[in-house]
Amino acid sequence: MKERNTTSTLKRILVNCSSQAKEYGGCVAKKVPEVERDMCLKEFLALKNCMQNVCLTSVFCYIKNFSMSANASSSQLTVGLSGSGGLSHAYVQYPPLKCNLPGSRGLYYDDANKLLLSPTSDQVFSWKTVPFSPHVAATADYINEGPVLSIRYSLDAKSIAVHRSNQEIQFFQRETRETFTHMCKSESESILGFFWTDCPVCDLVVVKTSGLDLLTVSFTSKSVNLVETKKLSVNWYVYTHGSRLVLLASGMQCKTLTGFQLSSVGIVRLPRFEMVMAKSDANSKPVLAAEDVFIITVYGRIYCLQIDRVAMQLHSYRFYRDAVVQQGSLPMFSSKISVSVVDNVLLVHQVDARVSILYDIFEDSRAPISAPLPLLLRGLPQSHTGRPVNVGESLDRNSSNHELMFYGDDWTFLVPDLICDVASKSVWKIHLDLEVISSSSSEVPSNLEFLQRRKLEASKTKQLCLAITRAFILERRPVTMVAKAIDVLVSSYSHSVKTCSNLKETKVDEASASVGTNASNSSRSAKDESRVGVGDKSFNLSASDSDDQSREIDSRDLQKSGKENLLGAESSRGEVQSSSLHTQQLGLGNNQLNANNSERQDSQLTSPAISPDEMYSCVFVPVGEEIVGDPSYLVAIIVEFLRSTNSEKIKVRPNIYVFTIQLLVRYERFAELSLLIINKVLEPSKEVAMQLLESGHQNPQMRKLALDMLRQLSLHHDYVTLLVQDGCYLEALRYARKHKVTSVRPSLFLEAALASKDSQHLAAVLRFFSDFIAGFRNTPEYQDYFRILNEMNTGLAV
Amino acid sequence: MGMASVNTASEGMQLCIFDLRRGQQEGQELDKILFFFPADLPFATQLSVIGLSEGLITFTRIFSPDAACEVIEAERHSHVFFEAESDIWMVMVVEKSKESKAACQVDALRKVLKEVHSLFVLFHGTMRSMLEKETSGGLIRSHLYPFITDYLSDFLIGKKLQLPSFHDCLMERGTVQMLTVGREAAIEVQSLVKVLECSAGTTSCYSLVLFQDLLVSTTLSPDDTISLFTYAVLRWFRGNDGFLASDIWGADNGSQTSVTPIVYLQLTEERMYLCAYQYKRLTIILLVPVSSILNGEQGLSLVKQQVLENVCVLSVPASLKMLRVEEKLSKGWGGENAYHVSGYRYLLVDDERVSRASPPAKVMTLAKDSLLAMSKLREEVNLEKRAKCSTSEVNSDKELEICVRAKNGAWVIARTSRGKELYMVLEKASETLLYASDAVEKFSNRYCSGVFSLD
Repeated sequence: MKERNTTSTLKRILVNCSSQAKEYGGCVAKKVPEVERDMCLKEFLALKNCMQNVCLTSVFCYIKNFSMSANASSSQLTVGLSGSGGLSHAYVQYPPLKCNLPGSRGLYYDDANKLLLSPTSDQVFSWKTVPFSPHVAATADYINEGPVLSIRYSLDAKSIAVHRSNQEIQFFQRETRETFTHMCKSESESILGFFWTDCPVCDLVVVKTSGLDLLTVSFTSKSVNLVETKKLSVNWYVYTHGSRLVLLASGMQCKTLTGFQLSSVGIVRLPRFEMVMAKSDANSKPVLAAEDVFIITVYGRIYCLQIDRVAMQLHSYRFYRDAVVQQGSLPMFSSKISVSVVDNVLLVHQVDARVSILYDIFEDSRAPISAPLPLLLRGLPQSHTGRPVNVGESLDRNSSNHELMFYGDDWTFLVPDLICDVASKSVWKIHLDLEVISSSSSEVPSNLEFLQRRKLEASKTKQLCLAITRAFILERRPVTMVAKAIDVLVSSYSHSVKTCSNLKETKVDEASASVGTNASNSSRSAKDESRVGVGDKSFNLSASDSDDQSREIDSRDLQKSGKENLLGAESSRGEVQSSSLHTQQLGLGNNQLNANNSERQDSQLTSPAISPDEMYSCVFVPVGEEIVGDPSYLVAIIVEFLRSTNSEKIKVRPNIYVFTIQLLVRYERFAELSLLIINKVLEPSKEVAMQLLESGHQNPQMRKLALDMLRQLSLHHDYVTLLVQDGCYLEALRYARKHKVTSVRPSLFLEAALASKDSQHLAAVLRFFSDFIAGFRNTPEYQDYFRILNEMNTGLAV
Repeated sequence: MGMASVNTASEGMQLCIFDLRRGQQEGQELDKILFFFPADLPFATQLSVIGLSEGLITFTRIFSPDAACEVIEAERHSHVFFEAESDIWMVMVVEKSKESKAACQVDALRKVLKEVHSLFVLFHGTMRSMLEKETSGGLIRSHLYPFITDYLSDFLIGKKLQLPSFHDCLMERGTVQMLTVGREAAIEVQSLVKVLECSAGTTSCYSLVLFQDLLVSTTLSPDDTISLFTYAVLRWFRGNDGFLASDIWGADNGSQTSVTPIVYLQLTEERMYLCAYQYKRLTIILLVPVSSILNGEQGLSLVKQQVLENVCVLSVPASLKMLRVEEKLSKGWGGENAYHVSGYRYLLVDDERVSRASPPAKVMTLAKDSLLAMSKLREEVNLEKRAKCSTSEVNSDKELEICVRAKNGAWVIARTSRGKELYMVLEKASETLLYASDAVEKFSNRYCSGVFSLD
C-alpha cells in the first residue's frame, strides 16, 4: 500500500485511538435520532484523551481542545496550526480577502451577484467572491451620500439599488450615473428589504411590512412600476438568491411562514406553514427571529433550517411546490448556530462550542459525516506556524486585529460558504478537506458515494476516489464489498455521461412541462407527507434517480446563467427558463422547488466520475503490479467491474480485456480464460485476439480461440495470414477466395505449399493465384515456383 | 445398487484390469488380476482372458512399443484394449450381436474404459500409487470392485447390460455439454463463481457450475472438468447441511455420517474437498484444497458455512446472486430440446472435450440404417484421425469431409476442421449431394459460426 506518503495526523490518531473512536462512534450511532447534549460523554472523553496524547507526541499537531459542551471559554481556545495538514474536515485558507478601506461604512453581501460591498461616503466598492481570491481588486461605483441599510447590484450588474430608509430605495445606473428614488406610498408601512429577481414579470421585489411589491425598474422613465402586490403582514423575511425563495414571517410568534419562489419560471406561492417551537416553562410563546431561520440549497433541493432554542434542535423542512414537509432535526450544542453549504455538504457551526458538524443530506440519515471539529486555519505564513498559536497571544503579534478569532462574535456566515469577520473586514471562504472526511469513514462504498457527489475540486476528489479504491482492493477486502464500491463508481460515471448527453435533448419541450404537473404532483406530495408521518425512514423524500438527474441539469444550466449575470450580458431568458423547467419535468413526481445553485467553478472537470479507462490505468494496472501471487482475486474484481459496466451499458475498451488475459495467462488459468472468451465476457476485438495469439505459445487452445475470434470479427487479412502460418494454406486459400482477401502475399502460400513437399498442392496453389490475381503469371514469383514445381515433378518422374 | 443382478446377467461382456508388473512368476498369475467382471467367473477362465490379452500386448509391442494393440476383432467377440496407466491394462471383451456385425463402436467402448478409469482416479488417485501404497493388491481390489460394478450398473437396462452401440453414434462419451449463455448471464455466473472461490478463503479453490446437466462454468483443467462433470451428471444426493452428498463409490456403506468426498486433481495430484450445492436447477461444485483446511471435517464445515452465507442463503443480499443467476439462466434456457435443430440429427465435438448433439429422443427417430451407417462412418473417421495423429506431428487436425449415402437414402456426413468435428444424418434430404452439402453449410453458418463452411 503506497496510497499516500504523508501520514496525516488524523490517520495517526485513527490508528492509535481506533478502539476509542469505534466506541464513541458506535454509541453515537446507536442514539442518533435522539441526539442530546453530553450523550456518550464517557466515550467521548476517552477518545479526546487518546487524541490529545497522540497529538502531543507529534511536532506540529496541536489539537484544539474541542469540546461539545457549550461553555468552553475563549481563552482556552487555541487554533490548530499545522501547515496544510491540520486535523479538520473543514478549513479556511490564509490569507483572507481583505475589504478594509478607509471610510468604509460597513460591509454588505450581495448574494445574487456574489459581491462583497463596502460603501464609503460617495462610493461603493465591490469585490467578487466567485471565484474566490484574496487578491481580487475592488471595483468602485459612485453613489450619493446617505444612509445605507442594504445595497444590491441588479442581476445584469448595470444598476445599483440602495436601501436608504424605511421608506426609501435609491437607484443608480452605473454607466450614466443617473439616479432616482423610490418611496413607499403609505406612511403606515415600511420597507424591510428588497432583492433583484430574474422572474419574468418583474425586476425587483420589495418586502414591506404589508407584503411584497413586485416592481419593474426603468431608468428611461426614472421610475419604478408596480406590477403586482402580495398583501401580507410581515414581521421579517429571509431570502437567498440561490433558492430564489423568500420566506415571510408573520404572527405573534413570527412562526407562521409564507414562501414565494420568484424564479425565471414564474412565481410560486408556497402553502403557509408553521414552524415547530417547543415551549419553555418561562416563556410559553417564544418568538422566532430572522437569525433563527436559514434557507439552504443542497443538491438542488431547498431546505429551511430553523433553530428551536428551547428544544435545542435544528429543525429541517423541505420545500416542494405545493407542500412543506418537516424532515427531522439536527442536534444543537450551542445557543448560537450558523450554517454554511460547501459543495452540497451542510456545515452546522456550533458557534459557542466552536465546532462545526458536517451533514450530507443526500443520504437517508441525519448522522453527521464526521466528528465535531473546529474549522481550521491553513496556510498561515511560517512565522506563525512554529508553534501553536493561542488566540490571545496572536492578537498582539498580528498586525491586523482579530484575525484568528475563530467563531468569534464578529463572525458572520454568509450564504453559502463565506465567513465575514466584520471587525477585521476580512472574508474567508470555507473549504472541505475531503481527504480527512473520507479517512474518518470506514465504509468505503458509502464514502465513495459521498465523494462522487462532490463537484468542487473534481480532479482532486477523483484522485482521492482512485486512491481509496486501490487501497481497498490491495487490502483484499471481500469481493462483494469491493463490488459495491465499484458499482458506486460505475453508476456515478454512467450518470455523468448521461447527464452530459441529455442536456440538449431536455431543453425542448417546455410547454408540456409547465402544464400537467399539478395533478400528479399534489397526489405525490400527499403521499410523501403521509410517509413522513410514518417514521424517520422517509426522511429523504426525493433521493431518487430522477431527482438526481434533474439536479445535475439544473446546476449546469444555472452555472451558465450565473455567468451571464456576472458578465452583465443580456440574460437569455429562454435558456434560464428552460433550465428550471426541466427540474420539474425531470423531477417526475417529486415536485421540489428548483434551486439555483451556481457554486461551480472548476471549469475543466465538473465531476469526479471515473471512466472505465481511468479505472484501468489508475486502479487495475497499479494494483496488478503490487498484488503478488494468484491473480484470481484481482480477476474477480475485474469481473465485478465488467458486470457493473455491462449493467450500466457502458462500453469498456479492450485494454482491460487484454490486461485480464495477461493476468490469467501468467498463472496458466487457461480454463477460466477460454470460458471468458467463449462467453464473450471479454468481448472480441483485434487487440484481444492478438493477446490470445501471444498466449498461444503456451497453450494451443488460446491460438484457436484467437483464430476463431479473428474470423468472427471478419479480420480477413490476419485470419488468412495466421492460417498460412499454421500450414493450413489450402483452407486459407478457400477463405481468401470467399472473402476476396488479396492483401496476403502469394509467396506466403507458395512457401507453405513448398514446405509441405506436396507437388500437387503446390501446383494447386500456383494455379489458384494465376486465376485469382490478374497478371500473376508474369511475376517473377510465378516463374520461380513454376520452375520449382517442374523440378519436383521431374524428380518424381525419375 | 444392483450388483447382484449385474453379476447374473453379464454373459455378453467381460471386463478385466491387470498389472503387467505383477504375477510374472509361475504360480502367481492370479496376482496380476486387479479386477475381473463378472467376478463369479472361474479363475481359470479369467486367467485365460488375461493371458490372451497379455500375449497380444507383448506381441504387438514388438512392432509398436509406444502404442500396443487397441482392438482385436474375433469372429464372435471384440476385445477392446486400453492402457489406463503404464503397464496397467483394461480390457473389455464384448460379444458381437448378430444383426450388426461390424457396428460395435470400439471407440465408444474404449471411452467407457477411459471414463471409469478417470472417475476412479478422481476419487482414489492412480491405481499405481495405490498399488505402491499397499503392495499385496488387496486394497485396490477392494476399491475397484464396488466402484466399477456400481459404474456398470448404470448401463443396466432391465437385466441386460446395454453397452454403447450404434444407437449412440450421435453422442460422445467423455465430453462435456455446455449451456450457451449470453454475455450478461455469463458475467453474472463469473461474478458468482469468483465470489464463491474467494469466499472459501483459500487462494486455490476451483469451481464447476452446472445448470441442469449442462456445464456453465469451470475453473478446472479440461481433464478434471470432464471427470467431475461426468460424475456430477451421474449422481448426487442431498446432504443434511444444504450441500449435496454422494454415496461415493467405495465408501463404507454402513456409516451414517456423510463424509465430504475428497477428489484428486489429475495434473497436480492435489487432494481437494468436493462440496456441491444446489439451488433449483443450478449446481455449484466447489473444490477446496485439503491442505488448506486444518482440522478436517470440522474446519470444512466452517468453510461451507461461509460459502452458504456468501452466496447460498437467501436472506443474505449477496446470496441473491445465486438466485439471480438461476433465474437468468432459466430464462435463457430453451428446455430439454433447446439444441434441437429440426431436420438435422447431429453431433458436434470441439477439441474432443466439448460436445453438443441433437437430443437423444430426436436421435431415436432415425432409422436403423442411418444409425448403422453413421456408426460405421465414425469408426472410419476415428481411424483416419488416429492415423493422422501417428503420422504427421504438427497438423494433426487437418480437414476432412465425407458424405455417404446410406442404404435407406439418408445422407450421413462427417466434417472435421481444425479440431472441430461435425457428424450429421439427413434423412429427409433430397437426392442430390449438392442439397446435402448445402444443408451442412447452412448449419455451419448458423450454429458453428461458419467453422465447417467450405466456400
